[in-house]
Amino acid sequence: MSNYLRIAQDGLWSNNIVFAQVLGMCPTMAVTGSATNGLGMGLCTTLVLVCANLLVSMIRQAVTEAIRIPVFIVIIATLVTLLDMMMNAWAHALYQVLGLYIALIVANCAVLGRSEAFASKNGVVASTLDGLFMGLGFTFALTLIGAIRELIGNGTLFADAHLLLGSSFAFLETQVIPDYKGFLLMILPPGAFFALGFLLALKRWIDQRQQARQGIQAVPAAALGGGGCH
Amino acid sequence: MNWQRLHGYLSYQSLMLGAVVLVTCAALGWAAQRTHDPILAAEAQDLRNNLSRVLPHGSYDNDLLQTRAQIDGPEGPLDVYRATLQGKPVAAIFAVHGRGYAGDIEVLLAISPEGALLGARVLKHKETPGLGDKIDVEKNPWITRFQGLSLGNPPVERWAVKKDGGDFDQFAGATITPRAVVKEIREGLEFFASHRQQLFGETLAAGESQ
Amino acid sequence: MSETSVVHGPHAHAGPSLRRMMLEVILALLPATLYGFSQYGWPALFLFLTCVLCGLIIEALCLRLQKRPLRALGDGSALLSCWLLALSLPPWAPWWVALVGALLAIGLVKQLFGGLGQNLFNPAMAARVILLIAFPVEMTRWVQPLALGSLPAPGFLESLQITFGGAQTDAYSSATLLGHVKTELSRGTLLSDALADIYRPLQALLGERAGSMGESSSLLLALGGCFLLARRVITWQAPLGLTLGLALPALVMYLIDPLRYASPLYHLLSGGFMLTLWFIVTDPVTCPASAAGRLLFGLLCGVLIYLIRTYGSYPEAVAFALLLMNAATPLIDRYLRPRIYGRNRQGAALQPFNRRAP
Repeated sequence: MSNYLRIAQDGLWSNNIVFAQVLGMCPTMAVTGSATNGLGMGLCTTLVLVCANLLVSMIRQAVTEAIRIPVFIVIIATLVTLLDMMMNAWAHALYQVLGLYIALIVANCAVLGRSEAFASKNGVVASTLDGLFMGLGFTFALTLIGAIRELIGNGTLFADAHLLLGSSFAFLETQVIPDYKGFLLMILPPGAFFALGFLLALKRWIDQRQQARQGIQAVPAAALGGGGCH
Repeated sequence: MNWQRLHGYLSYQSLMLGAVVLVTCAALGWAAQRTHDPILAAEAQDLRNNLSRVLPHGSYDNDLLQTRAQIDGPEGPLDVYRATLQGKPVAAIFAVHGRGYAGDIEVLLAISPEGALLGARVLKHKETPGLGDKIDVEKNPWITRFQGLSLGNPPVERWAVKKDGGDFDQFAGATITPRAVVKEIREGLEFFASHRQQLFGETLAAGESQ
Repeated sequence: MSETSVVHGPHAHAGPSLRRMMLEVILALLPATLYGFSQYGWPALFLFLTCVLCGLIIEALCLRLQKRPLRALGDGSALLSCWLLALSLPPWAPWWVALVGALLAIGLVKQLFGGLGQNLFNPAMAARVILLIAFPVEMTRWVQPLALGSLPAPGFLESLQITFGGAQTDAYSSATLLGHVKTELSRGTLLSDALADIYRPLQALLGERAGSMGESSSLLLALGGCFLLARRVITWQAPLGLTLGLALPALVMYLIDPLRYASPLYHLLSGGFMLTLWFIVTDPVTCPASAAGRLLFGLLCGVLIYLIRTYGSYPEAVAFALLLMNAATPLIDRYLRPRIYGRNRQGAALQPFNRRAP
């Protein structure tokens, strides 16, 4: 049981795709102009991650070393294409917001990374849980970055949430700072770098404090410093 | 079955890869078939929504999507939709393009047979949020200012932003975007003036014969 | 090689301290600053004070956070950065522009990169660019100069309203020369018509025109720059490179088509060029170390200014060009290294003088 707890903790915090692995930088930078967009992208990626991990762990015994990468990428690409078509057909309003970025999930190396690093070595239940929590951690990171950028850039939070989650979620849409002038830069691409930089620093600070409190020697920051792809 | 024993065969690897590709392709083919009609319906609905944004509800009674026709526009083929009310032509609807501050701005125009602008809406743009995006009616009612105007009203030389000596407001901090939109709409009206027959096609003749 | 010889260690001692250098730069800026106050009145003074004060407080906070001695505040570097930033802001901008600017310049661009000497970008110019992108409306609202105390100029209380109260200043607003020309050219007006009633070289030289404080008087800025040159606080390579880099392309294009391209003099006397020429490209931290490197830096910076001013969508290009070149500085430093004391350009040790030939 503690094994599953560990998977959850890894995905949500200690080995978070964005804050610890620094992977999936393309959607992290491109789709986090608002909290809603970050949330939508995160949820789509979570869906793909769960399905990909499930399928890969199911066929992991049958796939050999030599062909595992093409097999994994074909599976991931298929899942993403399916998601793309289904959203286009049955969630058209959402598709118009996120459509451009759905295809990019294929290029998110965090998805292939989880298949390769976890699902191909672990059982079905553990892999599915890993996909779920990695995805939720990714969603958390994207929503947080989106919220920071939206708040500073626009003074709002979860604007247009009804497009993503349906009109019953319109209550999420808040004007946090009335008559806000707007700090354009945070909505433009540089804002993503600023927000991510400060959040990375914040996570390290929290981790260091925690370690200091537990009296453990600070682990050399191996998790950081590895550059992401895309 | 002992998978490990089979791993050594080269043929097993190719067959395995082939099988995976076959299964995924089958899944994709099935999904494409299932989603084909809903996607077309969603896109049609989308187009219908866009078209209805430039014309008030109830001012026409035909299905605009059925009236689609292609004519030679200023930049290649141009899709035109014709709105009618009880058979009489109400408006020709077509899109114009122009270059804004950050890229293409697509504006949908509805023009009455008399040449008056019934409605204009920005369909697509990449203008700076908070500045140039005020051309979007959801951000700012600026574009509704054009409703009812035509080439003679105001005179052609006053079809410009105020900074350029025209009639239309620019936005604080952004001149290029509204300038581009004003120019686009003016060019759209000019195109209408010179292609009125083509734009209305059969419907004009039908309307006049009644 | 068994014969050993005694040579003096390569130690050099220079008199002026960092603090002294900073103070001399500030002294050089003083005439232009005072003139700026007299041109744009009380609001300019308030904005300037806000900017400098906020900058010093933020520097102190950053030093505290890093548990470094507050003594470092006295080196004058934060004061100078904020001074330069204040000179490049629209003089009647609201107070929060100065506050955010100081936060960006000192907190983000300087201290986050490691403090004095570690910053990759010039704090004042980087903050200015970020402000321009973030607040395009406030950062492009310029006013005609109204001499302090003259009738149309706002009084003390009215000025407090302008800087701190958010009073509307549209009645006084005016375009800068570069902005005006850009707008006119984009409408298809000929350059000579666009310049007809706004551009007078003498006026540009003296500084009686719309712009930021640091864009006004080319003459006083040049005076300060010459003082720094004479005091050897700055070197001549980067300013020369910058002048050539801007003036040569301008001259070539002007000779080809004087109706569409402005004269070199127009480029040299307008915008933030003079401030950049004497006080920004001469920054020892963010510019290359070797003499050849500084010349190249200035040259490329000038060419970029010309290109962005002529073909870009922003009328003023100095800050953008400078940031791009700041980013290229490590590369320039890699290829054009200063000679190490006691070694030749290839890095081999020089023959000591007192060693006899074998």
